[in-house]
Amino acid sequence: MGILTTMKTCWRHRALIGALVTRQLNARYRGSILGFLWTFLNPIFLMLIYALVFRVYMRFDMDHYPAFVFAGLLPWIWFTTSMSEGTNSLIANGNLITRAMFPPEILPVVAVIANLMNFVFTIPVLLVVFLISGIPFGWQLAWLPVIVAIQCIFTLALTFLFAALNVPFRDVQHLLTNALTFWFFLCPILYPLERVPDILKPVALGNGMGTLVTSYQNIFVHQQGPGIAALFAMLFGSLLLLVLGDAVFRHYRDTFAEYL
Amino acid sequence: MPNALEVSHVSKRFRSHRQGAGYSTLKSLFLGKGRRQSAPPESYHQALTDVSLVVPKGEVHGVIGRNGSGKTTLLKLITGIYRPDEGSIRYEGRLASLIELGAGFHPDFTGRENALINGMVLGMTKREILDRMDTIIAYAEIEEFIDEPVRTYSTGMYMRLAFAIAVHVDPDVLLLDEILSVGDEQFARKCAHEIDRFRANGTTILIVSHDLEAVKRYCSHVIHLEGGRVRNEGSAADVVEAYRAQFAE
Ligand SMILES: Nc1ncnc2c1ncn2[C@@H]1O[C@H](COP(=O)(O)OP(=O)(O)OP(=O)(O)O)[C@@H](O)[C@H]1O
Ligand SMILES: [Mg+2]
Repeated sequence: MGILTTMKTCWRHRALIGALVTRQLNARYRGSILGFLWTFLNPIFLMLIYALVFRVYMRFDMDHYPAFVFAGLLPWIWFTTSMSEGTNSLIANGNLITRAMFPPEILPVVAVIANLMNFVFTIPVLLVVFLISGIPFGWQLAWLPVIVAIQCIFTLALTFLFAALNVPFRDVQHLLTNALTFWFFLCPILYPLERVPDILKPVALGNGMGTLVTSYQNIFVHQQGPGIAALFAMLFGSLLLLVLGDAVFRHYRDTFAEYL
Repeated sequence: MPNALEVSHVSKRFRSHRQGAGYSTLKSLFLGKGRRQSAPPESYHQALTDVSLVVPKGEVHGVIGRNGSGKTTLLKLITGIYRPDEGSIRYEGRLASLIELGAGFHPDFTGRENALINGMVLGMTKREILDRMDTIIAYAEIEEFIDEPVRTYSTGMYMRLAFAIAVHVDPDVLLLDEILSVGDEQFARKCAHEIDRFRANGTTILIVSHDLEAVKRYCSHVIHLEGGRVRNEGSAADVVEAYRAQFAE
């Protein structure tokens, strides 16, 4: 199956993936004074803005609203930056693809892993926000690696798909920018799932990220299990999507150098 | 002696980038469907037609031809960047290529980062490259700039770094596209020296250049491409003179 070949290629080039991830992390804040601190500051500022607008202006009444928003925002940031960087990665690295025998499949992987690292680095900040809010930690936090792994597969699948399509059809990156904004508001990140009318719940959860975000909120905010049935369905769906995304990627793979 | 590089009956065509074909937008995909009748048929540009060449191990061969005759396309096919529509390509050992002024550098990466990535793409381990990094930098003579993004490099500096990396990966087959024309006198001598050393060590080299004197100097055998076909081939002196005679009047 194609996906196994892709995985083998990525494994063979794991050192190259590592080097590119390191470079990406080092380069992101190169030339900025606060440097790496921006990894923490960006989501904190976003959280504060949302808390101001919804908590103070809109009088949205919910316990620990800022912490709640933060728990959904961090995985969303990982997802959305991976998607936009990954989708653009083949074009951004066109010089490598058109002048060397560079394996293109590692580029979406690099985008997802580099942003995963950023996500992992911000988890301590999340824990601090929870300490300050006085929310206890439950043993359910042990589910975190499982949720992260499923999000990884889901994001990789879509990144493969969009990165490949974006080479012959440059509209994809523009469509995606809009879709991601739309997608963000569909996910129960700024509002709890309970506020969504029953008939729209399938939309809030069925977009994939909605299910993942609620899983994070369950284990962090509510000290509950992640919703194992939904998570299992999510895993299954993500694996199917990965096979599809990889198939599309492989369909276009050999023509990337000609289009770039 | 066995052939280190064999290209047999290779053809390559590109989808034309003209509107409505090839690199398209979703708009053309969707709208194109509705008015298929009026849409132009997909057009192709035949870049190479039935090209064959063999380079015996340890020899230096050259490819000449006018702009757009398919020289770079040929090297990209050999490198594996493009896939041939017809024909086959075979080489032995590790292949390094410097295509269109550079070995696939990312403009925003520093010289050092590019050297690392490039070396790894060429099949070296991270350790091997880091061990040779200082030698590579010294060889390229761009110490001051090695931690600057390569987009700030001059063409010659860019080429020096690319050449330095290619030299230090110990390739069995080396493809050089236009590197002889951008360096200064000192770099040209360095290249000459290196090509001699490679030949002595049994490395096989294919040179693409518009510098006909250099081609005559280095290459034992030359192929003249015209419109993507082999127009002439033979000893360097004969082929270069015949090529020059075309433009004599
Ligand atoms: N990716 C591509 N898509 C479409 N056409 C291409 C592509 N690459 C090359 N071509 C076409 O193929 C032909 C051969 O190009 P190539 O770059 O091989 O020429 P060249 O012999 O290297 O020329 P020069 O001496 O200027 O470097 C040209 O007509 C060019 O327009
Ligand atoms: Mg060329």
